This record gives sequence, C-alpha cells and structure tokens, in this order.
Amino acid sequence: MQTPDEIIHQPVRLKIMAALNTLGSGQWLEFVALRSIVQATDGNLGAHLTTLESAGYVAVKKDFIGKKPRTRVCLSRAGREAFGRYVTALQAILAPGNLDD
Amino acid sequence: MLPTAEEAAKALRDIDVIKHRAAGFQDYRAESSQLILWGLVYLAGFSLTACFREHLLLVWTLVTSAGLGLGALLAYRSGLSVSIIWRYLAIVITILVFIAVLHVIFWPITAEQGAMLGPLFVATLYILRGIQLRPRYTAIGCTLGFLCLVGYLFLLPVFWPWMAMACGGTLILSGLWLRSR
Repeated sequence: MQTPDEIIHQPVRLKIMAALNTLGSGQWLEFVALRSIVQATDGNLGAHLTTLESAGYVAVKKDFIGKKPRTRVCLSRAGREAFGRYVTALQAILAPGNLDD
Repeated sequence: MLPTAEEAAKALRDIDVIKHRAAGFQDYRAESSQLILWGLVYLAGFSLTACFREHLLLVWTLVTSAGLGLGALLAYRSGLSVSIIWRYLAIVITILVFIAVLHVIFWPITAEQGAMLGPLFVATLYILRGIQLRPRYTAIGCTLGFLCLVGYLFLLPVFWPWMAMACGGTLILSGLWLRSR
C-alpha cells in the first residue's frame, strides 16, 4: 500500500493543499483569504507555505497593489498530482479489505 | 509510517471541511462584488429618480444597462468561464423581464409600486438562496425586504431618497459584509 505523502500529511499543510485544490488550474488565492480558510496565524501559514514551496507543491507570488503589498499562492501541477495521490492513499487505507487487516 | 484508519478518516474529513469552507469563501467573494455593483446601480437609479421623476424610464434603462455591462465585466475579470458569464447575464435579464412583465400585467401602477417589484423580488431570491445554501444571504434578503416595505408603507413622502439608501445602501453594506468574512 502506498504511504501518504509526509509533506502533505501535516494538519495545516493538508488544509492549505485542500483549499488550493478547490481552485482551477493557474488560479491564485490571496494569502489573507487562505489564512481565513485555513484559520492559521500569519507566521504558521507562512512557515508551512515555505515548506510546500520548497517541495514544489505551491508557487508564491508577491507584488504590490498601489503601495499595499500582496502575496498570492497557487497550487502547482506537481502539487495537484501529489494531493490527488495523497487522497487516493488515504482512501486505500479505509478500503474494506485493508480495514480487516 | 502508514497512518491508522482513524487518522486517514480524520484527514479526509478535514479535507471535506476545508472544501466546504473554501467554496463558501469564494461564493461570498464573488457575490460581494455583484452586491456592491447592484447597490451602486440602485443608489444611482433611485437618486436620479428622485431628481428627474419625468424621465423614470430613461433613468432605469440607463442604470440597468450600465449595471448589466459592468456586472459582466466584473464576472469576466474574476476569471469565470464564458458559459458562467452567459448564465449570469441570463439570470439578470430574466429578473428584468419578470419585473417588466409584472408592470404590464398590473398596469396602471404607481411609480412607487413599480419601484418595489425589483427589490422585493431580489430580497425573496436571497432569502430562498440563504435557506438553501448560506445563512448570510437570508439575513441580506430579510433586511432588504423589510427596509423597502417600511419605505413603501410609512415613508412615502421621502420614498425615493429612502429607497436609494434602503436598497442601494443595504446591498453595498451587504457586499462589504460578505467581503469581511
């Protein structure tokens, strides 16, 4: 049986990936919106985003709207595939045949 | 190490919760822009009606056309697919046609009676949508319907300015409320 991805299998990172996975391909979500959905602190969310970015699962873009800084996050193709595999692995653990073991 | 069945089940539940929350967030975000836009349309429409009662039809033709065009532009700029933009246009046009048909059926009606049709219909739609989907829509619909009725039943001497604030103002504030989620 496939082991679920250790990078995603962390509560906050799992929530980040699940939230970004609801967006269409190439769609970006603002940091503040993601923070509201995941219900994490700025520092905590930032740290986990760095981990996911290092793994190549998310892309982070920083720019300015006028003089106001804005950070946006997007799920990469590799991230979407990894999340799909992760969910499949969880479902496999819960499959009737595996629960009997 | 392989997670236990309990851990796997909890992770899947967490994913579902986040999916639901993200969908609600995106829904409120998309709706907020439209509420603010149509709030401004109503604010402009009722304010201009207060000033130019004899040009009522021209005023509402202009403001609803502007609202329709800007609404489609907002939907386009928010990255929605073309089919969803067409669906949006079809919904708004259906509401406008419904209001026009009611005018024809019940003609002659006073300008104040006619002005109540749109806001009350929109209020009803939001109440129903809130009952079915998300509670904030019910609160918006109830507030909008209640304030418009108060204007019609008790404040006819200041009806048009009242409607500009009650209808336009409620929709704008509701849009900001959804954005603050």
